[in-house]
Amino acid sequence: MSVKTLPDAPGVSDPPEKARPRFSLAALRGAPHAGLIAVLIVVIVATSMQTDSFATDTNVINILRQVSVVAVIAAGLTLLMTAGGMDFSMGSNVGVTTAVGAQLLAHGHSTPFTVVVSLVLATLIGLVNGVVVTFTNVAPFVATLATATLLDGVALLVLNSVSVSIGTKMFALGNNKILGVPYLLVVAILVLVATALVMRFTVFGRDAFAIGGNEHVARLSGINVTARKLSLYALTGALSGLAGLMLLSRLSGSSPGTGGLSLQLQAVAAVVIGGTALAGGYGTVIGTALGVVLLGVVANALNLLQVSSNYQSVSVGAVLLIAAIANEMHKARSARH
Amino acid sequence: MTTPGQDAVLRVRGVTKSFGGAAALKGVDLDLFPGEVHALMGMNGAGKSTLVQVLSGVHQSDADAGAVEVNGQAQHGLTVRKARRLGIASVPQRRELAMGLTVAENVMLGDLPTRGGAVRWKAVNSEARKALEGLGIDIDVKRTAGSLTVAEQTMVEVAREVRRGGRILVLDEPTACLSAEAAHQIRELVRTLRDEGVAVVYISHYIDEVLAVADRITVLRDGAVVRSAPAAEFDAPGLVRSMVGRDVVSQRSQRPAPKDEIGLTVRGLTDGRAVRDFTVDVHKGEIVAVLGPAGDAQSRLFDLLSGRRRPDTGQLAVDGAPVAFGRVHASLSSGLRCVTGDRRALGLVPELSLDENLMLADDRFARRRTHRRAQLACRAAPLRRSYGVVSLAGNPPVGALSGGNQQKVLLAKWLQTEPVACFLEDPTNGVDIAAMADIHALVDDLASRGVAVLLASSSAEEVMRLADRVVVVSAGRTVAEHDIDTITHDELVATALGGQPQ
Repeated sequence: MSVKTLPDAPGVSDPPEKARPRFSLAALRGAPHAGLIAVLIVVIVATSMQTDSFATDTNVINILRQVSVVAVIAAGLTLLMTAGGMDFSMGSNVGVTTAVGAQLLAHGHSTPFTVVVSLVLATLIGLVNGVVVTFTNVAPFVATLATATLLDGVALLVLNSVSVSIGTKMFALGNNKILGVPYLLVVAILVLVATALVMRFTVFGRDAFAIGGNEHVARLSGINVTARKLSLYALTGALSGLAGLMLLSRLSGSSPGTGGLSLQLQAVAAVVIGGTALAGGYGTVIGTALGVVLLGVVANALNLLQVSSNYQSVSVGAVLLIAAIANEMHKARSARH
Repeated sequence: MTTPGQDAVLRVRGVTKSFGGAAALKGVDLDLFPGEVHALMGMNGAGKSTLVQVLSGVHQSDADAGAVEVNGQAQHGLTVRKARRLGIASVPQRRELAMGLTVAENVMLGDLPTRGGAVRWKAVNSEARKALEGLGIDIDVKRTAGSLTVAEQTMVEVAREVRRGGRILVLDEPTACLSAEAAHQIRELVRTLRDEGVAVVYISHYIDEVLAVADRITVLRDGAVVRSAPAAEFDAPGLVRSMVGRDVVSQRSQRPAPKDEIGLTVRGLTDGRAVRDFTVDVHKGEIVAVLGPAGDAQSRLFDLLSGRRRPDTGQLAVDGAPVAFGRVHASLSSGLRCVTGDRRALGLVPELSLDENLMLADDRFARRRTHRRAQLACRAAPLRRSYGVVSLAGNPPVGALSGGNQQKVLLAKWLQTEPVACFLEDPTNGVDIAAMADIHALVDDLASRGVAVLLASSSAEEVMRLADRVVVVSAGRTVAEHDIDTITHDELVATALGGQPQ
């Protein structure tokens, strides 16, 4: 060593601006998901003042049970989108899974057999998406939108365009409770927590961040990007399968139009509301969970306030827009400082 | 040159800017005169960028502190739009052209001549041509911006700003990553601008270049002006001293002699026109430099050796064992480590934290499965120390660090993974002079540990400082090979016919 110099002193070119003490709200505004939580509180308070039936135990449990299916899909999508991927076919995968599961059960197959077949099928569908995206360079959005349309058709073919009932099979999963908490909600929470832990504490999860942040760097750093992407798409497929079984048990059957793009859009909306970057490299499960709950609460509030169903998608769209704008403003503010 | 008695077109007095608790600018004064090239010098993080951003309205000076006067009129609450209207324009380090549009469209963007709502293409082209010719720039206006070289992009951006009425032009490192000839063209353009009466703010890390092109130099250190004087009153060592605050000498050091074993062998490597029949043997503990213009050949060597790209022909062996081309995994498991010169695109994940970037490769080699921040910080701490990475706030995203620190993170990420052989592409690209000295010491240390180092560089000084042998490359071909003690610096520059801007 011939020289020893001091490292250049200010290590950060633009040090982050701390909230000024005279603004007590400023610190709150800087907190993660602050905007989302604020919107959620406003909706809850406003609805509670309008109707007594909103803030009741049964209603809250009911909301959470209803959003469970979306939550499972959104959890997988959060991980995939953080890695810079996109799967638009998860809702349609749910449709296929419920259709196949319903037909198997209706034709007298056992429940365990049906569960295994449905999950394997859903995983394979996810894997096919992964293979197409990884090996052909087709944009994930395009490839999975195509498979989504394709799978919607397959679901109709499997059902032969009529509703199939499964009677009381799998009734427990869809309707029973443990300590007052519906099984469906338990499953959703388990999936969300597991995803959060994977993203935070495993190298697999951190690989997703690295791939989403800069795929070239990830590859050069010795991450097997191809294998990682395949497993991520397979995982979203498997979670779609799980969501499909949950939906099947809740509806006690499958009918044409179950799942599909409308379910998918709810999940995508929840993930985006939660602040996960569409371009990858950033995402949180907590944000996604808040997004799922927000969408559920808004839909429920509109129901209780007896707003015409035509206005419901109008308002869901508005919520999505407001949340997306709030996220961007929050991001811009933290980037500037 | 400054015309005495002429009024300053822009006058800055006592500008102070702090982010949170940290002051980035402390009472800075600056005067810009028309027809003068004013160089801003300083280390990474000295406040050059912040000052320029205050001038161009991106940041505002702190309340009650400082004034910005343009043409003698005080400007309060300068915004980007206002600054632009006053003729303050900047050409950032990352070029901002619409790559799919033609040169003419880019020059005329926002002001396309139309008739009845339809674009008059002939007028677009002719006016753009006029704008370029006015500055002595010879570029076909019908080419798309994406097909231009970096130097040409800079020229087009300058022409656009001047056409829009830019009278105060900020050029942020316009010659970084350019070959000598391209840098020369840019400097000619700067002189033309000066003769046209434009006030040019010139930011550069190259000392010699600044001394050659600037009329006045202002040196910033830790957010304050250290010295502001006509360029003639500065010499190179004095300039460095005022930038760093003390003498920095990066001199050749004594390393143990290279071993006899060969660590890295490249035979007949050919890929298109960028690399042609490249052959080199690097002994363990030896540094062999590949000297040539920055850009194509160097980054192509990186792509080939790292396994991102398969060459037309050629062989590669690390520690005597052949390595297959075209597979990143093969390259990494052979013990070869390739450090990119393009840390933005191929080096770091900007959103991830400093520590996570440091350990990105090593954790994968160690086949770790779990990720704990506390343990990560413990593993990263000694690296931060030994590679001199400094951050003000704990563990920020790596994108928030200064260029020099980012480069050290990149080097630390790779050099601590027990390499057998290393390929370093322009390791001191865009870092200040102190960080450069640190990095040179790190590379010395690497060779002393018995690693075979292949160093791609565009700087003859750096080669003379570090290398045991030098291979001079021009247009993809090897033109000469010398032991470093058989050649002088000037001979080396003459052989290279295209080194660093001088």
